[in-house]
Amino acid sequence: VNISARDLRWILRWLAAGLILFEASPAGAVPAFSRKYQTSCQTCHAIFPKLNPFGQAFRLNGYHLPGETSEQIKQKPVSLGADAYARMWPEMLYPSDLPGNVPFALNTKMADIYSSSKDENGHQVVHNDFQFPQEANIFAAGTLGKNFSFFGEFTWAERPDGGSDTEIEHARLDVISPFGPEHLVNFRIGKLAPNLYDGFQEMWLMTDNAVDTLFTYNPIGFRGGTGLSDGGGGISLPDRPRAIEMYGVAAHRLFYTVGVDQPIQSGGPNGTFGSNSKKDFYARVDYKIGGMALDGDTTGVQLPPENWREKSLRIGVLGYTGDGRDVTYDVTDDAGNAFKMQDRRYNRYGVFASCYFGDLNVFGVALHGTDRLQLLEDESLAEINETTRSYDAWFVQADYVIRPPFQVSARYENLRVADPTVPSIRALNANFSLLIRANIKAMLEYHRDLRNSQNYTLATVLRFAL
Amino acid sequence: VNVKGTEVMKKILAGSVFVLVAWPLLAGDIHGRVVCGGQTDNANAVVYVTKVPGKTFPPPKEHAAMGQSNRVFEPHVLAVLAGTTVDFSNSDPYLHNVFSPEACADKFNLGTFGKSEKKSHTFRKECFTPLLCIVHPEMEAFIAVLPTPYFAVTKPDGSYAIGDVPDASYSLKVWHPKLKGNEKSVAVHGPTEANFQIAP
Repeated sequence: VNISARDLRWILRWLAAGLILFEASPAGAVPAFSRKYQTSCQTCHAIFPKLNPFGQAFRLNGYHLPGETSEQIKQKPVSLGADAYARMWPEMLYPSDLPGNVPFALNTKMADIYSSSKDENGHQVVHNDFQFPQEANIFAAGTLGKNFSFFGEFTWAERPDGGSDTEIEHARLDVISPFGPEHLVNFRIGKLAPNLYDGFQEMWLMTDNAVDTLFTYNPIGFRGGTGLSDGGGGISLPDRPRAIEMYGVAAHRLFYTVGVDQPIQSGGPNGTFGSNSKKDFYARVDYKIGGMALDGDTTGVQLPPENWREKSLRIGVLGYTGDGRDVTYDVTDDAGNAFKMQDRRYNRYGVFASCYFGDLNVFGVALHGTDRLQLLEDESLAEINETTRSYDAWFVQADYVIRPPFQVSARYENLRVADPTVPSIRALNANFSLLIRANIKAMLEYHRDLRNSQNYTLATVLRFAL
Repeated sequence: VNVKGTEVMKKILAGSVFVLVAWPLLAGDIHGRVVCGGQTDNANAVVYVTKVPGKTFPPPKEHAAMGQSNRVFEPHVLAVLAGTTVDFSNSDPYLHNVFSPEACADKFNLGTFGKSEKKSHTFRKECFTPLLCIVHPEMEAFIAVLPTPYFAVTKPDGSYAIGDVPDASYSLKVWHPKLKGNEKSVAVHGPTEANFQIAP
């Protein structure tokens, strides 16, 4: 890495700023669940947003603590009907309740992005960009009585041109154990991060960067996919689709999810969200050995008092399939001739593993994808040929808790794209995180394209939640 | 004869006084504590003697009372002997209602009534019933209609005391609006302690 003396000065300045902030007054508020249970972020997070095993159980229980009783809820909900009304259904409305306070939380992220990349002429272009703020998120999360919970995230992000983008990143309603044994059957509907990605979607990672090689690979190309999508391409895995999902935990340690979703880019015909009427399907099954059970059960398990530590192994298999016919993309051959292409059938198969060994958590995913690509004439859309292309993506990440405020992470990503003439994408992501306070986090994150040493970013990020 | 008759009368009178004075000494009390698992406090558990062999209890003439104030039933749990009439009063400046969804309480509905008004219902059968206000669905209370007058409702610390229980062996039960009940046998001989632990 070529870091000049000037660059080094910038880094030192930001480290100094971090030290000053370390002495600043703490934020006086904590997010929605902390308020409800009057508990610290660290009850559920190793380092937010990454969940510890207890937080994982809390999430899978539909935002109810394992074995929750009314005395654990410090902020009493507003009753929308006495429990006795439940027995009068359908003569009366089924009762529910509202969170005691408006269940909103605010997350703000500021970043200084130092980036280096090659321009079209092969020259190195270096930027140092103050992104203050980079984005702000309003979260809404809570329960509506015993059997319903909700989660929403509204994001506002500034663009370099002075404009801003807004997006409802998450908006979902969960139905918790409407029937059957507790934790076994739950449903969720909305725009959501599917449980298919439990443990490795960006909202559950301690790093600032997501695993792009897994989620933003574009499989569309004259000879198959060549790299990551910059928007508008096909999908490898849709990270926040509109979906209906069933999930649950059986026998404390077996996790499953099945879902149907509408993944391919928005902006379909006639104002529809989907570009075609097809729906995709996904499923995942995991089993956890050792540590706290997935529903929070600790029967017969000795756990250390440090709630981020345990010795456990979780392994799972996942699959995703979809039909992209009628969704047409523009492609060109090497000579620049224009064609159209459809991804008639895409399949993804993967394995997930996560191992906790005390302070160390190593996890990763290996994914194999196939795409049946149909090449069409540009004007007439007559079929020219149909070819099945495949790609492989995998990553492994190690998160380590040095001491609770100090945590580090390293991730290696590898993507063998479908186009055989394009070399694999390899990337390294290294992160040092410091919890200045329980709800104020500073990160120094380095992301490097291992194919080209001149493509890298060094981000200094400050996040706080209240 | 007169002297003899006077002596007999004196003995009868003395015996009656002795019985009246000694009778309470032959009755005990049942006291103890109920621990309600998973609740914010240990209040509102009803502890009661299920049966006194060979004895029935006529309904009391005195009415019991339950109020509605600041959209809350007061008390939250009321225990009464079967046959008791309960007076419901409204202290709020708006309408309230009282009804029971349970058949054992005749599914009574007192309609709506305003401030300072009072309505009554007689609970004839043994029953554990919620009381609801259809005007304010969040309001809820419970009435335990019991077979004997030997009962008590626990305080927030879980303590209770049932007084003047004749010395004998009884079955003692505990009921709670949200928790599973419990039962145990007690032999009352003077002050007798009986503790319970109940859970969801």
